[in-house]
Parts: sequence; C-alpha cells; structure tokens
Amino acid sequence: MNVVAAIRTAALTKHYGSVQALDGLDLTVPVGQVFGFLGPNGAGKSTTIRLLLGLARPTAGRAWIFDTDAADVAAAHRSLAHVPADVALWPALTGAEILELLGRVGPGVDRAYRGELVDRFAVDLSKPGRAYSTGNRQKLALIAAFATRAPLLVLDEPTSGLDPLMEREFQAAVAQARERGQTVFLSSHQLAEVEAVCDQVAILRAGRLVEVASVAQLRRLHRSQVEVTFTGPPPDLSKVAGVDVVQHVGPAQLRFTLTGPPAPALRALAEAEVEAVRINEPTLEEIFLNYYTQESR
Amino acid sequence: MTAVDAVAGRGDVRYARHVGGQAVIGLAWRQVRRGALIVTAIVAGMSAMVAGTYASTVGDALDTAALVALAENPAIRTLFGDPVALDDPGGFTVWRTGMVLGVLLSVWGLLTATRVTRGEEDAGRWDLLAAGRIPVASIVARHMAVLTGTIMAAGLATAVALLAAGTAVSGAVLHGACLALIGLYFAAVGTLTAQLFATRGAATGAAVALLGAALLARMIGDGVEALGWLRWLSPFGLAALVQPYAADRILPLTVLVATTAALAAAALVVAGRRDVRSGWLAPPVERAPRLWLLGSVPGFAARRLARPLLGWAAGVGAYYLLIGLLAVSMTKFLTDNSHFTNLAAQAGFAGLGSVEGYVAALFALLAIPVGIFASARIAVTATDEANRRLTLLYAQPVTRVRLLVADVAVTAMGAVLLAVNAGVLTWVGCAVVDAPLAFDAALAGAVNVLPVALLCLGAAVLALGWAPRAVALVGALPVAAGFVLNVLADSTGAPPWVGRLSPFRHLAPVPDLPPDWRAAAAMLATAATLAVLGAIGYRRRDLRG
Repeated sequence: MNVVAAIRTAALTKHYGSVQALDGLDLTVPVGQVFGFLGPNGAGKSTTIRLLLGLARPTAGRAWIFDTDAADVAAAHRSLAHVPADVALWPALTGAEILELLGRVGPGVDRAYRGELVDRFAVDLSKPGRAYSTGNRQKLALIAAFATRAPLLVLDEPTSGLDPLMEREFQAAVAQARERGQTVFLSSHQLAEVEAVCDQVAILRAGRLVEVASVAQLRRLHRSQVEVTFTGPPPDLSKVAGVDVVQHVGPAQLRFTLTGPPAPALRALAEAEVEAVRINEPTLEEIFLNYYTQESR
Repeated sequence: MTAVDAVAGRGDVRYARHVGGQAVIGLAWRQVRRGALIVTAIVAGMSAMVAGTYASTVGDALDTAALVALAENPAIRTLFGDPVALDDPGGFTVWRTGMVLGVLLSVWGLLTATRVTRGEEDAGRWDLLAAGRIPVASIVARHMAVLTGTIMAAGLATAVALLAAGTAVSGAVLHGACLALIGLYFAAVGTLTAQLFATRGAATGAAVALLGAALLARMIGDGVEALGWLRWLSPFGLAALVQPYAADRILPLTVLVATTAALAAAALVVAGRRDVRSGWLAPPVERAPRLWLLGSVPGFAARRLARPLLGWAAGVGAYYLLIGLLAVSMTKFLTDNSHFTNLAAQAGFAGLGSVEGYVAALFALLAIPVGIFASARIAVTATDEANRRLTLLYAQPVTRVRLLVADVAVTAMGAVLLAVNAGVLTWVGCAVVDAPLAFDAALAGAVNVLPVALLCLGAAVLALGWAPRAVALVGALPVAAGFVLNVLADSTGAPPWVGRLSPFRHLAPVPDLPPDWRAAAAMLATAATLAVLGAIGYRRRDLRG
C-alpha cells in the first residue's frame, strides 16, 4: 500500500546567511488529518511554510505536496490553499473583489459554500482592503481558503486576530474540512485550538523536529500528578512501573507522578483502601512548555 | 517629598521625549539620505558643469541681437523660461538648468515627502511610532524638518558650486535659494497632501497634479505677456521673477518663502487633527464591487496599471500638446536666428529649423518620462512583494515568472500607449497651429523612443531579480544617466566611447531622419536580455515579505 502524503519533506534545510532557520526537517503529513505544527517563535515554522509554498528556496533537501515537487508551484498549488500569518490585502480592492480575484485565479471555488462562510464569519465585503482590521483580513483569507475545497489547507497562525466567537467558527470550518477529506496543516500558538482540532502534532524547536505524536500520545508520554487519600496501610509504590517522586503529604495522603498507563499503580494502591484519588493530566500547555524549555541549553 | 518626585518624573518624561524626537529624526534621515545625496550631487554638479564650461560651449556665439531675439520669442520663453542674463555664465546656467533642476528637486521632494509620511503610515509602520510619546503632528514635523535640511543642503551646495565656478555672489546665492525653495515648496505640498489623503497614491497624484499646474502657470506666464501675473502663483514663476544674475529681486523670493512656510504650517495643522491611518479626504468606506479584469493574472495587472497610466498620460500628453502648439513659433524663430540653431546642434539637437526636426528633438526627451514610468511600475511590483500584498497571489497555482511576465507585458503596453498618446497630441497641437506635420510622422517620432524606454523596463526587471530594493534607481539609470552623459560627454571633452554609452546617442531624430533600425534592434535585444536575466534571478531568489 502506497498512500501519498499530503505534505512530505526530506532533509529540508534553510540557511539565512549564518542563521540556520531550518535544519534537516523530515516531516510527513498524512492525507485527511488535521496536523498541528507547533513551536516557539523563531523555531522555523514560517520558514517551513514558505518553503512548502515555494516562496523561499531550500538550501538543501526537498518538499512535496501530494508527490508534486513543492518548487513546481503551478502544479503543487492546484491542490492547496494558504492563509498567511500576516494577511496583507490590496488596499483599493474591496473584500468582494479580493474573493473574486482569488477565486478565479485559484484552484476553483465553491461559491455557495463561500457565501455561507461569509455569513458565518460575518465579514462586510463592501469595504476596501485598507479598511479591514487584522482579524477581518484574516477572516477574508480564511474564507478564500476554505471555499476553495483544495485537498490541502496550509494555515499559518490563522486565528491570532480572531475573537472567541470567530475562533469557534474557525474550528467548525476545520472540522467540516476534515469531514470532506481535506488535509489541514495548522501552524498555531493557540494550544486549546490545537487540542480541539488536531489529530497529530509536530513540535519544532530551533529548526529541528523534536516530536510528532497525537495529543493523546503526548499526554501519555508525560507525567500526570496523582493524589491519593487512603484509610488502610500505606502502599509501597517504590517498585511500580511509571511511578516517580513519591511524596507523603499527610499520614493518610500520598502524591506521586505517573508516566504511562495507570494500571500497575492502581493495582498497588488496591490494598491501601483508597478513599479518594485524583489524577491531574498535564495540560497541553505544560507539555509544550516542557518541550520549549527543555534542551534549550 | 511628593513634589520633588513629581518634578523629577516630569524631567524624565521630557528627557525621553527629547530622545524619542531624535530617534524619529534619525529614522527620517535613514529613509531620505540616499536620494538626498544623489539629488544634491546632480543639482550642484550640473550647475557647476554648465557654468564652468560656459566659455567653451557658448563663448562669443551670442551677440546682443541674438539675445534680444531669444528673449522676445514666446515659444523659447514658454519652454525654457525667460532668458535674462545669457551673457553671464551664471545667468546662462540658470536659464539652461534652472527649470530642469527645479523640477528634479520638486519631484524628489514631493515623492519623498509622501513616501516617508503617508507611505510609511499606510504600510502600518506608524502605528507603533504614533503610539509612543510623540504626537503625529510632531512626527510629521520631524520628517519635514529632515527633508527641509536635505533640500536646503542641495541649494547651498549649488550656490557654493556656482561660486566656485566664478559667478557673482548674489546670483549664486539667489539661484541656490530659489532651487531649494522650489524643492521645499513641493516637499511641503507632498506633506500636506499626505495629511489630506489616506493613501500614498492619491497624495502623490494630487501633489504631482499641483506640480503640473505650477509648471503650466510658469509656461503661460512666461510665454504670454498679458498673463505674466500667473507667474506669481507658481514657485517656478516666482523663481523666474527673482532673475538671479540679472535683476536679483528679493520680493518674489519673499513671496516664495512665505507660501512655502504657509504650506508647511498647514500640513502640520492638518496632521494634528486627524486619525492615524486616515486623512481628511478618506476614500468611501463602502462601495459596490467592480469585478472587471479580476479573472486572470494579466487582467489584474492591467487593472492595477489603468489608473496610474491615465495620470502619466495626462501629464506627458499635456506637455506634448504644448510642444505641438509651439511648433510654428519655435521653428520660425530658429530659422531666423542661426546662432541658436548652431548652439542647439552643438548640444545634440540638429535640424531644429523644420517642424520635423523640432519635434524629433523634443521626442527624444519623451524617452525619459516613458522610461521612468516603466521603471516605476516594476518598482511598485517590488513594493507589493515586500509589503506581502502579493503573497496571496503567489499561493495560487501561478508561477512567479507568469506573474512577472504579466506585469512586464502590461507595463510595456502602457509605455507604448504613453508614447502613442504623446505622438497623437503633438500632431493635434501642430494641426491646431497649421504646422506641417503628418500624422504618421508624429506617431513614428514618438514610437521611435520606445527602445530606450524599454531599456529602463529591462534594467528594472534585472534589479527586481537581483537587487529588489534598488528597482526604481536601476530602472531609471538608462534614461537619467544616459541623458546626463549625452549632454555632458561632449562639453567636457570625454573620450568618444563615454558618450556612446548613452542610449540617446543611438536614437535617430525621427521623423526628421529615418529610424536607426540597427540601433533600435540592439537596444531591444539588450532590454530583452536584461529582462531575461532579471527573470532568472526572480525565479531563483527568496521572495521578500
């Protein structure tokens, strides 16, 4: 079975002078997934997207969009739509005119769906480009991208200027895109959004890929805090797999960290007559902060 | 104790504001310095050159009768200004270069003013600046102060250059002051329109229109005696009324100072009473969609070109209509006064005695605006790329080269239309005064300059591919440097090959003589090569923004 990936990169590298913006990125984004692309500022996310779109030329390595060389823009862009991080519009064209231009030059557009998106995102299309706020410029670019029905959407921090109401519409549109079988490549800093919509997440740090996993896997890879209150004899957790840093908070209360599945720890706790147990899973934020700060030396 | 703290705090704020103001001045200077140095070098250099070579180029060729004839001819006065002191190297320099350098300084002044004020604000870069301690009016004032300083330096350099060439002190000082004030006047106009209009294009357009009106007022005022008072309304006219090296009048200079100061003050008052990113004449906030020419890449390129092209065509067309209207008067004068025909021939304008020779000489100048137009359009492409307006288009299934080809093709078409328009209007002007000029001859003469203009287009594309920050400069080089080289190579006794570098040297005076097909083909081939090299660079490099 030879499934074509929506995005594939091989040792993709970009240097700006002596600065290594991206260092040998090997990434595969399977078709049909919502793929989160995370990393601190300057990690190389936007550079990756610029290389994928052919806006910048790689120093080394290659990238493919559905098996088309990303440098072959005329062919590769027939199957993608893009929302840039900082949307700049033609100042004299109105929203309607910009949508018309992008729709007719682009890879085809579902006009009925576009009309629906305009209503949902509540954009006034009669204003000229210069009159739009950051959020409205982003909404316009999102409408243009979602309305194309291109099999791949490459979104670079598309919701940084949206209010919570519009954020909800965005997530709904992403979900609909996934239902239609579209692949979404989403670079974002909004971890709640990533958690809500992404199937898989890639984490980039200083131009290198540090992790690719589902959100659930990431959780499992990380330690949860467990607090136990008991009435029986204190349990011995010293040899239980996955348990670490055991603290005796009180005479009948324990706190420990847990990595991996909780079954062995729960078995060990069975004899202690557990009265109450609370497992705090790490938030995505904690996981990412962990990645971002770890190895920073 | 509280009082002491408060005083100390206020002192800090004042200090910070002082430092912030200096930072804004530094910012403004960084944005104008390159152009300022080039303009100063050209203005002072040209003046010194013409004054210094007066003895060898003009010398004794001008007797009193010739001067009277020159001064009495309305066509000469209209085109070049009132010749008042041609027997003096300084006076001759004022007449020969004053208009051109005044226009150069004013165009640079107004373009720079709108670029560093409205352009920066329009691009959103003033949002942060205006959020600081310094109010918008002060930011505008500081930019204007920097422009004022640089333009005054250009005037001062000109005066010093003329003094060094050995001309009279009062004349040199007055001419330097006049040039600087013309530049300042239009820098103030540009700053004012940048406060009135919410977009850089509109602000520049309005300021250029005023420049055209001022030139026209000077031309009519100089040419038609009954309307001489019109000169008092135009900075060019006021400078002419000062008559450096002749009458050395102070009153027109005072009026010029006062109107310039009034414009600058108006700009600051208006700047203080508007919102950031907005102007007094903001375009309508809502309008119905106009969907013409949005269906394809070339169509969209044409749509973006349409409005600027109309502006260029109006300006260039008006000038060539005037050239046509003056044809009879000029050629008659030149046939009657062989001195000037000889002088003009020395300066590279032969055959001025016939209508064909006269329009051929003036059509050569058409290469300059058409070339600058072509280069300016490619510079707009570079700006749109840097401002990320093109990003959404680059993300479409369209190659960069196709986007570039569309822009270049549409710009080349625009250049053809500009030239044809100038040719047709010259013919119309000639027809009005019954000057014998055939329609096809007028058209041929205008179209003949296109290879030179297309060299500019090629150079601009080359710069877009390899040095995208310098598109306007590199694109203007073939006509700007070429023109200066053509004029100066002979009078400075440079080796012959230096002069041959200028494309103007290879331009046949059509319709007076048949076109030089070989030279035209060589120029077109060079332009195409430059453009292809540029396209290669553009394809390979990273996009900006």
